[in-house]
Amino acid sequence: MPSASVVVNEIKSITIILTDGPYISEYAEMACKIASEALKISHVNIFLYLDAVHIARRGQQPSLFAEAGRLFQELAERGAVIRACARCAAARGYLADGEGICPDYYEGIKISSLYDLARMIEESDRVISLSG
Amino acid sequence: MKSVFYLLESAPYGSERAYGILNAAAVCVKMDVTVGLYADGVYLALACQDSRSLQVPNLYDIIYAYPEITVLAHEPSLAERGLLSMALMERVELVDEEQFIEHIRAAECLIYI
Repeated sequence: MPSASVVVNEIKSITIILTDGPYISEYAEMACKIASEALKISHVNIFLYLDAVHIARRGQQPSLFAEAGRLFQELAERGAVIRACARCAAARGYLADGEGICPDYYEGIKISSLYDLARMIEESDRVISLSG
Repeated sequence: MKSVFYLLESAPYGSERAYGILNAAAVCVKMDVTVGLYADGVYLALACQDSRSLQVPNLYDIIYAYPEITVLAHEPSLAERGLLSMALMERVELVDEEQFIEHIRAAECLIYI
């Protein structure tokens, strides 16, 4: 039986998939906490799907919660790869330039093809979906 | 990951979830990909869906466009909703509780959307 530390060290990459908006549930905050710890030992991908594309929006002003967009920006600064689904984003008014940069989004979070989700899953040792 | 199981338990046209799952499954066909229909998700198994009046894509067409995706319907969920006598898509495989769970366990990752 391998020790817990050996098992943890074998996780080189994890992907977190979110589908809820930033405040309808605690999933965005939970994802941040998971990703923050996971970044200490592995590569982290986060894919924002369906309503989760709102998480990356600049200028959120929640009165009772930590601002989700800022938390995700901090994760991106620490090396997390955070991508939002292009179809979902466009449907909600977030449009990107040719390099996936959206002026409405925090820096470091890009809009990309759903094929990036497939690549993230394929390359990951663990996949976590947090969805209502 | 070499295999993915997408779990759908929402009705096909009441939200964006079913459409989202099918799109996500469609881009994963390089892997072994399964969509499991559970609870209200089994309504997606019904044949002859017509979504024109809703002005949304017909999910039936998406399933037929991607034969690489295995589609399972949880038979007890169909029975609970009185749907066992209804015509189902030929593409859908009916499985009992034990088989459904076995498919989930066999996949390397379970994605619930």
